[in-house]
Amino acid sequence: MEYELPTEFDIIIIGTGVIESIISAAASRIGKRVLHIDSNNYYGGLWASFNLDAIHKLSANTEVLDPPTDLINPDETTFALGNDFFSLKNFKTDWHIPKAETQPENENVEEKNETESEEKPEKPITQDSLIKDGRKFNIDLAPKLQFARGEFVELLISSNIARYSEYRSVSRVLTWLNGQLETVPCSRSDVFANNKVTVIEKRMLMKLFMALDSGDQEYLNYDNKTFRAFLTDKKLTPSLIHYVLYAISMSTDETLCLQGIQNTKRFLDSLGRFGKTPFLFSMYGSGEITQAFCRLSAVFGGIYALSQPLSSLIFDNENNFKGLICGKQRISAEFLVMGAEKAPPEFIKSPPRSFIARAVFITDRSIMSSEKEHLTLLLYPPEGGKNSCVIIELGTLTGTCPKDLYLVHLISQQVASPEDDFKHCVENLFSKFEDDKKPKILWSCFFSIPDSNALDLKTGVPGNVVLCPGPDLDLDYDDAVKKAKAIFSDLYPDTEFLPRAPDPEDIIIEGDTEDRNDEDEVVLKPEENTDKVAESETEAKSDNDQEVPKSENEHEE
Amino acid sequence: MDEEVLTTLKILIIGESGVGKSSILVRFTEDNFDPDQTLTIGVDFKTKKLSVDGNTVKLAIWDTAGQERFRTLTPSYYREAQGAILVYDVTNYSTFAKLETWLSELETYSTKPNIVKMIVGNKIDKENREVNRDEAMKFARRHQTLYIEASAKTRDGVQCAFEELVHKIIQTPGLWESFALNGNVHVDNKDHPSDSSSCYCSLV
Repeated sequence: MEYELPTEFDIIIIGTGVIESIISAAASRIGKRVLHIDSNNYYGGLWASFNLDAIHKLSANTEVLDPPTDLINPDETTFALGNDFFSLKNFKTDWHIPKAETQPENENVEEKNETESEEKPEKPITQDSLIKDGRKFNIDLAPKLQFARGEFVELLISSNIARYSEYRSVSRVLTWLNGQLETVPCSRSDVFANNKVTVIEKRMLMKLFMALDSGDQEYLNYDNKTFRAFLTDKKLTPSLIHYVLYAISMSTDETLCLQGIQNTKRFLDSLGRFGKTPFLFSMYGSGEITQAFCRLSAVFGGIYALSQPLSSLIFDNENNFKGLICGKQRISAEFLVMGAEKAPPEFIKSPPRSFIARAVFITDRSIMSSEKEHLTLLLYPPEGGKNSCVIIELGTLTGTCPKDLYLVHLISQQVASPEDDFKHCVENLFSKFEDDKKPKILWSCFFSIPDSNALDLKTGVPGNVVLCPGPDLDLDYDDAVKKAKAIFSDLYPDTEFLPRAPDPEDIIIEGDTEDRNDEDEVVLKPEENTDKVAESETEAKSDNDQEVPKSENEHEE
Repeated sequence: MDEEVLTTLKILIIGESGVGKSSILVRFTEDNFDPDQTLTIGVDFKTKKLSVDGNTVKLAIWDTAGQERFRTLTPSYYREAQGAILVYDVTNYSTFAKLETWLSELETYSTKPNIVKMIVGNKIDKENREVNRDEAMKFARRHQTLYIEASAKTRDGVQCAFEELVHKIIQTPGLWESFALNGNVHVDNKDHPSDSSSCYCSLV
């Protein structure tokens, strides 16, 4: 190693998952000396994104390294880092297309022209052609959508971390109803455009939402009853109940009324802020988000080191964390925060009981084709003993897959195995045959993520050590933000959590804004125009006077 | 004052620790030099307007925030950058030798395949030079990058480095006039509904 790591810190954070990264940024922001370190050669841990090449190389090995003994005092004990409880399980990738292009045969081309309506005869997609474009993929282990008015988005804004990432709004929400895909009416225009919803139903739906919005307390009478019972008593039609229960409130038949109401309100509250639906997806994948927090941490002095030979943790005879052994260095700190998957097995009192079932497909067209590219959230209801599934379909505009292809993420609470749990969705939504209108799966990947969120990660863990849970089943990061905040205030009570970072300059990086014509793109216009005026004024000033706002401890090297 | 800004360009400054990346950044954006700068803390990115060939562009120049020390720059740091300045110290050969690694890092993470690269040999005001000009120029030619020698301390070459880089970026078709990412949302306090009546609540 060319540079030696410093050996004294206030806090060492092992693992670059979302919760760890938020804590890192928060600690660095208040001036703590942070070492953020990972044995992986990538950011994000179980929340990372990978390109096509990297995801094939992903293996769930936990390497245990022997520490050099000369760094440990006689009255100290060590625990080896890493456990197998929380690594990915059932990982499996498969190609469903030929490796290379077969010799072009005239017959084939003709056949294609007849069955498909594309103007140009396209090159067949092969494994080789996808691998060639492999770097254009950003495949999330834990894909997330953010509520436009959720805690996460509010944190991005209040902390000024928003400048490190860009988002796209989900352009439609779908559900599976009576054996086909239907658009869930999210906005007034959606409701009116939806020809599956009758005029009477439109009124019913609006009445319900108006009632919730005006603080109608009627649901309080449904203390121990389900949300379904509430909706049924409201005399909603079966289709409306489906839309509200399974899509808008993301509930099940068992969800209690109060929870269902809260979920519905949350959905409604996030409407009308960015785009047509309540949801945002981070460009280039959810894995970008950990990097944004890490960047902030680094800007405020946090030291970053990936691919590190982390071997063990050192504790004194009173079971206080003293230091970390990394290669031939002993690094000490007051606190240690680490992802549960990095913890010594001795710290894990109960192994995970539940798993997140995951599937990722590369497909050749959208599940519901339309002229413009959509970013789709499909809320697939529970069916035949299978749990409900969240399905996110991403096109090339999200920066997660090459042109003319789609990346489809499936997420569910695991019952049997990922392949089994998604079997019905795959059969209903995708096709094995070329000539079908349904998308064809070109590549598939299945795996399970152990869910560490319901587990006790405190008992038996030394006082100055904190374990952070990995990805959860939630659609968004709000719960992760809450957990990070709680851990931070335990470590540093009475300090501000991620106060607004100073603006180096108020700037929005992006390309030309003139050429917008599709509806999604109206999103930014008013705000951009005003910003531009403001910017050029301050800019002109700083050009002349060199008056650039100073942030703390600026420019050194 | 009202000159129209053609576009905003994202420029990266990379290279080994201690070669003077932040010094070049500060010299260019603020015309300052602080000989005692040790490690980069608190510098995120800086912006400056620059007029080249009658076009005014706004540069957003991103510093490494010290993440280069253990080669942990995030992939997101590299995203969408149109230009990269690769800095080495002419008095330290190993920083020049490391450019190869930095170029491959750029190759791996750039999302724009035709990103314009400029190699800058910094600290030419110092006497104990270890990298001669010819060797560096050959290296730059071999890797098809621009090349200049500079001193953040004396100002030599700094302005020119940015001007040359921008000149080349503007001449590169498809590099900056990209519309592919339109429709992205910058998260801020204001509302950006795509449809003013998209809220359920607004319906009576």
